[in-house]
Amino acid sequence: MTLPPSALRRRCDPAALGFATTAELQGPAGVPGQARAEDALAFGLGMQREGYHLFAMGPVGVGRHSLVRARLEAEAARRAAPADWCYVFNFDAPHRPRALRLPAGQANAFRDAMARLVEDLSAAIAAAFETDEYRNRHREIETELAERQEHALNDLGARARADGIALVRTPSGFGFGPFNKAGDGVMEPEEFGKLEAAEQRRVEQRIDALQKELGDLLHLMPKWRREAHDKMRSLDREVTRAAVASLIEELKAAYAALPDVQAYLERVKADTLENAAAFRQAKEGSEPPTLFGMPLPRPEGMEGPFRRYSVNVLIAHDGANGAPVVSEDHPSHAALVGRIEHIPQMGALVTDFTLIRAGALHRANGGYLVLDAAKVLVQPYAWEALKRALRSRTIDVRTLGQELGILSTVSLEPEPIPLDVKLVLIGERLLYYLLHAWDPEFAELFKVAVDFEEDMPRGPQDDALYARLIAGCAQREQLRPLEAAAVARVIEHQARDAGDADKLSVRVQALVDLLREADHWAGEAGRAAIGAGDVRRAIDAQVARLDRVRNRLQEHIVRGTLLIDTAGSRVAQVNGLAVLQLGDFAFGSPHRITSRVRLGSGGVVDIEREAELGGPIHSKGVLVLSGYLAGRYMPTRPLSLSATLVFEQLYGGIEGDSASSAELYALLSALAGAPVKQSLAVTGSVNQHGDIQAIGGVNEKIEGFFDLCRARGLTGDQGVLIPQANVKHLMLREDAVQAVADGQFAVFPVSTVDEGIERLTGVPAAEIHARVEARLEEFAEQARAFAQSAGRKPWRGAKKK
Amino acid sequence: MARREEEVRIRRVIACFAPGHAARPEAAARLARELEAEFLGLFIEDVELLRFASLPFAREVGLASALPMAMSLAGLERQMRAQARLLEDALQAIFGPAAPWSFRVERASPSSAVEAALAEGHAPALLVPPGGDVRAERRLVRRVELTTAALREWMEGKRPVLVLPE
Repeated sequence: MTLPPSALRRRCDPAALGFATTAELQGPAGVPGQARAEDALAFGLGMQREGYHLFAMGPVGVGRHSLVRARLEAEAARRAAPADWCYVFNFDAPHRPRALRLPAGQANAFRDAMARLVEDLSAAIAAAFETDEYRNRHREIETELAERQEHALNDLGARARADGIALVRTPSGFGFGPFNKAGDGVMEPEEFGKLEAAEQRRVEQRIDALQKELGDLLHLMPKWRREAHDKMRSLDREVTRAAVASLIEELKAAYAALPDVQAYLERVKADTLENAAAFRQAKEGSEPPTLFGMPLPRPEGMEGPFRRYSVNVLIAHDGANGAPVVSEDHPSHAALVGRIEHIPQMGALVTDFTLIRAGALHRANGGYLVLDAAKVLVQPYAWEALKRALRSRTIDVRTLGQELGILSTVSLEPEPIPLDVKLVLIGERLLYYLLHAWDPEFAELFKVAVDFEEDMPRGPQDDALYARLIAGCAQREQLRPLEAAAVARVIEHQARDAGDADKLSVRVQALVDLLREADHWAGEAGRAAIGAGDVRRAIDAQVARLDRVRNRLQEHIVRGTLLIDTAGSRVAQVNGLAVLQLGDFAFGSPHRITSRVRLGSGGVVDIEREAELGGPIHSKGVLVLSGYLAGRYMPTRPLSLSATLVFEQLYGGIEGDSASSAELYALLSALAGAPVKQSLAVTGSVNQHGDIQAIGGVNEKIEGFFDLCRARGLTGDQGVLIPQANVKHLMLREDAVQAVADGQFAVFPVSTVDEGIERLTGVPAAEIHARVEARLEEFAEQARAFAQSAGRKPWRGAKKK
Repeated sequence: MARREEEVRIRRVIACFAPGHAARPEAAARLARELEAEFLGLFIEDVELLRFASLPFAREVGLASALPMAMSLAGLERQMRAQARLLEDALQAIFGPAAPWSFRVERASPSSAVEAALAEGHAPALLVPPGGDVRAERRLVRRVELTTAALREWMEGKRPVLVLPE
């Protein structure tokens, strides 16, 4: 029985769609076919418990990103904008910058207010130190010290003078020498030499005593200076406090509701009192630091001593409506948790709290973060950092160098920031299952699986629903409207893309690409709406861009380089069908499968496996054949058969069991000596009971053989045997369907090996089985005779083997 | 007084240097350049100090160490020569060959050395004492008022003196 054309392609009737063009339609509310994913998304986003992060899995192009993004944005719009975060100087531990939380949109204002405060402080402090009052009090302290020292020295000098000794200032201090007779200068050495010895001794003793007194006096001077210095410092603090207090109190009042900011400003106040001199020096201006005459780089922002009062706004939400939805396309370690920049200074790398930069987690804090799982996993240490942040619910800005302990330069340990984020990882299913299997933390952190479908059912109403999806895509992409016939053509193509007449592919990206390209061709033709011809042209052009390999392969067959017969009959030779997937393009191609049989005990030998060209599933399929042969023909005796099977002229390897029925037909043909019609090709796997089972890529396989037959000329007796179970998957090309309708080509559904072998050989299955059985019996007899003549049990060799 | 100073154009800056005072000629030299005045660096080797160093038991008590240390005339002269050389080099670097400046070493009492320097010219001159502060408030005196005693007192201070012609 051949399949009628109507079974080869499920048509979509444009008239039944009920519209002229998609301009009359509105896009669907949700995404058709993704109800499970949408429910999971809604649950995951609503579930505010630890570990309920989401993993959106599914193949590329099914709209994971757009659906997730749309749902997150809708959810985010309902929430309030989260807090702003800043890093400020930690006056107690400068290497541990403090994190400061401010209400949304206030961080930049606070930063500006601090900058203004520093400016105001500079002016106010400098002005305070320039008042007459300060100068007078300062001068008073200086004068007091100078007078105290001078009086002490004068007093000592007066006492020395009373004893005829002069106090002399020397390069390094003071000395004592006897006055000359006139009393107006130091005595000449000759004059001193003329003094009596007793007088000389007296003078020297007195000088010794005075020197000791002077030494004691000089010992006191540092203490006096210190006392004077303390007085000056106290004066400075007093003056600074008066200048600073009102300015800082004013700022504190503006942030009265924020205790952390209050505490910080209190520390700023204390620090300015300690460092009032910096404000005064700044007023005078300072040269940039240089090394060998070259100016050294300085961080941007406030100058040297005032950097500590600057505010590093890490995250600000000025004018934000709702919670943030952040996607990070390059999720490196630094891009996720932030980084600490360094600047070179005198050959060393230095940093401070103003060089802390935000990462995606900071930006998404209080909202949602969307990451591509594969991209996270390939970035060194990014996955670990991400899990650590989710587990600890804090963002700890640490450089990779710090994490690995390889950074020898000075760095920071910023105070971690509390993290409240809903993370959505997007990735392939394989990644989800691998992570689930190999990373114990994964299941704890990503409890919500959002599983996207590749296709949706194609029920009676679904073509119309899908038409709305198409309309929505066209409108979103600002394309021309599609005519009903064009929509029908797209729907049929999407069914073909799904590989199932009863399904529709929801690979939205591929759909949008097709619509864009059809729109392009409609534009080329100057049409206002996209017609069915434009869609067909877009599909054909997509294929034409990718089918170079298919054409070359077919050319090799047509020219006889690759041996495939499409006419005549031949024993032990069957046309099998394989699918090649090259990038986005899959196509079917026939392959010659041959078999040789002889006496032996090796069962069925898969040459592909022996040559390591066959995959494990293919090998399994061949091993199933041994089971079929033994069970069907020799259930009570050893199988004295050695058969070989090979895909002729196949050098690139083969996987899958879809050719196992073709291999069995080749084997049966060889054993029965029944020629197989070469005008037919076969696909389908077989089980040990001889049932034909479904395979994948049935449409591509049929079309692959059809294309070859058409190239050689359709004869009317050509066709393909497919598993009955695959009939529902048929969505053949229109030209192939037309050929069937014209009686030039045929598709035969088969359920059992018996049906298939009859179709291929034209010989009743019972006769084939009888011949095979007889041949195997013959082999068994020969084996027995051979074993007896050799003195061996026939099965011993098999056992040993 | 300030108004009078504004009216006077300073023609000479005489910066005095002496052992035992910080030798920083930069501020005085810069001032001379700003005023486009002639600069004289006067290093005074105080004869009183030299006489003291000649005494057999001469010792000085260090200001920083507060300990007595032996002094010798040869050592003092060596120190003076070295200090004078450093000063001259510093002034050479500041002024270069084109500017009107000079430097000399006088072995005399400080007051007579300054008197001699003042006597060389009649133009208004700014006298900067050893270790003096050129930015400190200046005193204005007429040449005739600058007696030996007044000079001795001035030499111990920090304030510059603007000496007006007689």
